[in-house]
Amino acid sequence: MTWYHTLLQHLINGLALGAVYALIALGYTMVYGILQLINFAHGEVFMLGAYFGLSALLLGQVTGPLPGVWCWWVTGMMLLAILGCSLTGCAIERLAYRPLRRAPKLSLLITAIGMSFVLQNVVMLTYGAQDRHIPSVMPTIRWTVGGASVTAMQVVLVCSGLVVMLALHLFIRRTRVGWAMQATAQDPVAARLMGIPVDRIIALTFALGSALAAVGGVLFGLYYATVNFHDGYLMGLKAFTAAVLGGIGNIPGAMLGGTLLGLLESVGAGYLSSQWKNVFAFVILVLLLICRPRGLLGERVVDRD
Amino acid sequence: MTNGRGQRPWVPVLVVAGCAVLPWVGLNAYHLEVLATAGLNALLALGLNIIVGFAGLLNLGFAAFFAIGAYTYALLNLHLGWAMWWALPVSAMTAGLAGVLLGMPAIRVRGDYLAIVTLGFGEIVRIVVTNLEQWTGGPNGLLGIAHPSLGRYQFGVESRPYYYLSWLLVWIAFVACVRLSQSRIGRAWAAIREDELAARCAGVDVDRLKLTALGCGAAMAGVAGCLFAAKQGTITPDSFDFIQSVMILAMVVLGGLGSCGGVIVGAVVLSVLPELLRGVAMYRMLLFGVALVVIMRCRPQGLWGHGTPAR
Amino acid sequence: MRQLAWLLAGVLWLTSCGPREPVVKIGFAGPLTGDQAAHGLDLLRGAQLALEEAQRQGPILPGHRVELVAMDDQRSPTQAVSVAKKFVADPDVMAVIGHLNSSCTMPASAVYHTARLLELSPVSSNPQISRQGFETFYRICATDDVQGPAAAQFLMDQLQARRIFLIDDMTTYGRGLANEFARAVQEHRGQLLGHEGIPQGEKDFAPLLTKIKSLAPEAIYFAGMYPEGALLIKQRYELQVPAIFMGGDGLFEEALVQLATPQAAEGVYLTTLGGDIAGVPAAQGFVRAYEAKYGAVGAYSAYAYEAMNIVLWAIKTAGQKDRAAVLAAMKHLKEYSGILGVHTFNEQGDTRNRIIGIFTVRNGRFTFVTQVVK
Repeated sequence: MTWYHTLLQHLINGLALGAVYALIALGYTMVYGILQLINFAHGEVFMLGAYFGLSALLLGQVTGPLPGVWCWWVTGMMLLAILGCSLTGCAIERLAYRPLRRAPKLSLLITAIGMSFVLQNVVMLTYGAQDRHIPSVMPTIRWTVGGASVTAMQVVLVCSGLVVMLALHLFIRRTRVGWAMQATAQDPVAARLMGIPVDRIIALTFALGSALAAVGGVLFGLYYATVNFHDGYLMGLKAFTAAVLGGIGNIPGAMLGGTLLGLLESVGAGYLSSQWKNVFAFVILVLLLICRPRGLLGERVVDRD
Repeated sequence: MTNGRGQRPWVPVLVVAGCAVLPWVGLNAYHLEVLATAGLNALLALGLNIIVGFAGLLNLGFAAFFAIGAYTYALLNLHLGWAMWWALPVSAMTAGLAGVLLGMPAIRVRGDYLAIVTLGFGEIVRIVVTNLEQWTGGPNGLLGIAHPSLGRYQFGVESRPYYYLSWLLVWIAFVACVRLSQSRIGRAWAAIREDELAARCAGVDVDRLKLTALGCGAAMAGVAGCLFAAKQGTITPDSFDFIQSVMILAMVVLGGLGSCGGVIVGAVVLSVLPELLRGVAMYRMLLFGVALVVIMRCRPQGLWGHGTPAR
Repeated sequence: MRQLAWLLAGVLWLTSCGPREPVVKIGFAGPLTGDQAAHGLDLLRGAQLALEEAQRQGPILPGHRVELVAMDDQRSPTQAVSVAKKFVADPDVMAVIGHLNSSCTMPASAVYHTARLLELSPVSSNPQISRQGFETFYRICATDDVQGPAAAQFLMDQLQARRIFLIDDMTTYGRGLANEFARAVQEHRGQLLGHEGIPQGEKDFAPLLTKIKSLAPEAIYFAGMYPEGALLIKQRYELQVPAIFMGGDGLFEEALVQLATPQAAEGVYLTTLGGDIAGVPAAQGFVRAYEAKYGAVGAYSAYAYEAMNIVLWAIKTAGQKDRAAVLAAMKHLKEYSGILGVHTFNEQGDTRNRIIGIFTVRNGRFTFVTQVVK
C-alpha cells in the first residue's frame, strides 16, 4: 500500500467521521447562537439517537442485513430517533434551562451536566451498561477506490450528512421560521417586539438541533455497529470543539469545523499516534478557546456580558 | 465563626472534640475509611471553593491538580525515597504552579469557555499521565508508595491515622480560607466575582488576583493529592477523571459557593451518601444528576450559601 | 453543622451494630455496575452456584451459616480499597473472592494482607500482584507472563507470523499482557512492527488500522477487552487488512462474535486462562447446572466457581471461624482437584496449573484449538 493510498484512506475515514461531528456540532452551534448556553447534554441526545435507532431495529426484530429494503429501515430508524430526540431536547429546554434563563453561568453549566448524567444513566438502566450491537441492515459492500477501501456505509454517512446540512441551510435561509430563528439569535428583545414568539423559537431550535444529533446518532450507530451509553460524552466534546473551530453560532462554520476536525483527527491518529488522539482534540479545543475563540469563520453571537 | 452567625467560640471546640472522639465510639475501620475520604474531599472542596466560590472562576478540571499532587509525592517517594511530610509542601507547590500556568493563558477567556478550557486541561492531564508510562506507570499507575510514619508509628493501611490527619489538614485549610475570605485579597476576589469590569476600573489587579486564586486552590488540591497517594499506596489515572472533577464541584455547590463551612458539609454529605446508598448503587449517578438539576433549580446557593452564585 | 456531624456519627454507629448470629461470610468483590458489570456478574453467579451446591451437600462449618456477601468495586481502585476495608472490618468475613480487574486487586490485596484475611482472586492476571509477596493472596488463573508468551509462541511457531503489530487498551491488564507478549516476541526473534495503545471506550480505529495496513504485518495482537476488540475486528475486516488477528482472554466473551459480526470474526484467535472446560468431564456438571439456572456460561464463571469451592474447602479444613486458621489451611493445601484441573500453589500464591487455552472463531462460535501447558 503506497503512501498516497494510505493518505487517501485516512482522508476517507476522516470525512466519514467528520460528517458525524458536523451533525452534532450544528446542534451546539444553534443553541449557543440563541442562548449563549453550552448545552452539555447535547452529546447525550446524540447517544439517545443511536439508541432510538437500535430500538427501531429491536421492535422490528431485525437481526441482519436486509438487502432490498434497508433504505426503508434506515428511514424508519431516523424517524423514530428524530421524534424521540426532538421531544427530549424540548423537554430538557423546558424543564432545566428555561427556568434558569436569567441565572448565572455556573448554575446553567451544572444543570446541563446534571441533565447529561440523568440521560446517560436512564439509558444505562434501560439498555444495560455493556455495548449493544446494532445489526447492520445494510449489506457490507466495499469498493476499492484509488487503492483505498470505501464502504457503502461511509458513502451513506457522508451523503446523508450533506443532504441534512443542505436542508438545514435552506430552512434557515429561505423560510419564515428560519428567519425568525436568525432574528432571535441576533436580538431576542427586538425579535419579541416584532411579534416573534421567542420562547417557541427557542424550543424549536432545541428540537431542530436534537433532530440533527439524532440523525448523526443513527448513522454513528450503523457505522460502528455498536453503541454504549458512554459514547455521548467524548463525541459531544469533540463536536463542541468542531463548533468552536468553525465559529460558534455559525452554521456553515459548524459544518466546516466538523469536517476539518474529522480529517485532522484521522490524519493525526494515523501518522502520529492513536494513543494521543484524544489529546490532540483537547489541545485543539483549549488552544482555540484561548487564542481564537471566534473560530475560522467567525462567531455569530450577541455579546450579552 | 463564619457566615455571620454570631460569635460562639465553643462551637469549634465542640466540633473538634467530637471529631477527635468519633473513632473511639464504635466506628469501625470501614466507617473511618469513609470519613477519611470525606476529609480528603473536604480539602478538595475548600480548594475549589477558592477558585469558584471566592474568585468566581468556573473550573471543570480540578481533578488535574489533585492528580499532580498525588503523582508528585508518588514519584518523590519511589525515586528519591522522600517521606510524605516533606513531600506535602512540594506537592502543594507543583500543583499550585500548574494552576498558575493553566491560568496564565486562560484567565482572559470568558466564563463558560473557561469551564471548557479547564475541562480540556483536566482531560489532557489525565491522558498524558496515562500515556507517559515511563514516568507515571501509565495505566497501571504507581505502586508501592510508602505510607507515612510518625517517628516509629507506621500509618500502614489502618484508617484511624488518616482520619485524624485529613481532618487536621481540613481544619488548617478551613481557618486559612476563612482568613483569606476576610482579608483584602478576599474582598478583591469578591469584587472580581461580582463585577469584573468595575473591579478592574477600581484599580484591582484582576489578572494577578485570578492567578492567585487558581494557585491557592490548586495548591490545596495538591496537598489532598499527596495525602491520597500516601493513604492508597497505589494511584491510577482513573481516580482523576472528569467525574471526580464534577463531584468536587457538586460538593462546593451543594454546600454553598463561597461558604467554607458549607463546602465541608457538602463534601461529607457527598462522601457518605454513596456509601449509605450502596444498596441502590446502580441508581447512584442517576440520583446524582437529578440532584444537581433540582438543586440548581430550587436552591442554587446551596445549603449554606449566601447570595447568588458566581456570575 | 454541629448537629449534622453528630447525626452522621449516630447513623454510622447504629449501622455498625447489628444482630450477631453464628454466620460465616465469604466476601465477593468485583465490578457489579458499570461497563464490566457483565463480567462481574458472571463471577458472582459462578460463586453463588458453588456455594449453593456445597450447602446442599451438608453444613460446611458445623453450627454456622455460610453467606456470600457481594460488594461492588465499580472497577475503581479507590472503591476497591474501600470495599476491602469494609470486608476487613466485618469480623464474620473469613475470606474474600476478588477482585476482577488487576488495577483493583493490586491495592486491595495490601489491605487484606494487613488484616491477615485470605484473598483468592479468580481472574486477575497481572503478574505483579503476587510479586508483592503477600501470603494472603492466592489466584487460580494463569498470569499474563504465561499468557503473553504462549500467544507469541503460537503466533510465531504455529501460524508462521513473525511480523506482528501489537495493540493494547492501556489498562493495567492490557498493558501488562502486551508488555509480556512484546518481550516474548523479542526473545523469539520475531519482529514487532509497532506497539500502540487505544483508550477504552474508543470506537474509531480506522486511522490506526490504516496505518497498520500500510506496514503490512502478518498478525495483529490485541491485549484488551472484547468491546474494543470487537470493533477492531470489524473495522479490520472493512478496511481489508489481511493480517491474522489474535487477542487475550479479555476477548473470550460470546458477545464478541455478535459485536464484530460473524463474517469479520471468522478466523480470529485468542488465548484463555485455562483450558477448554467443555472438554473437561468434571466441568460438565458445572456447565449444566449453570446453564439451568442462569443461561449461557460466562467466560469467567468457572473460575469463581472453582475459587469458591477452594475457599469452602479451606474453611471446612480450618474447622473454626478464625481467619488465621483459614489462612493456615490454605497454606497447607497440597493440591486441589477441580473443574479447571489440579491446583497447587507456589510461595507467591500463584497456581502452578498454568494452562493457556487457544481458541479460534469458526462459524460464529469459539472453537478449541489447543492448549499450552507451562
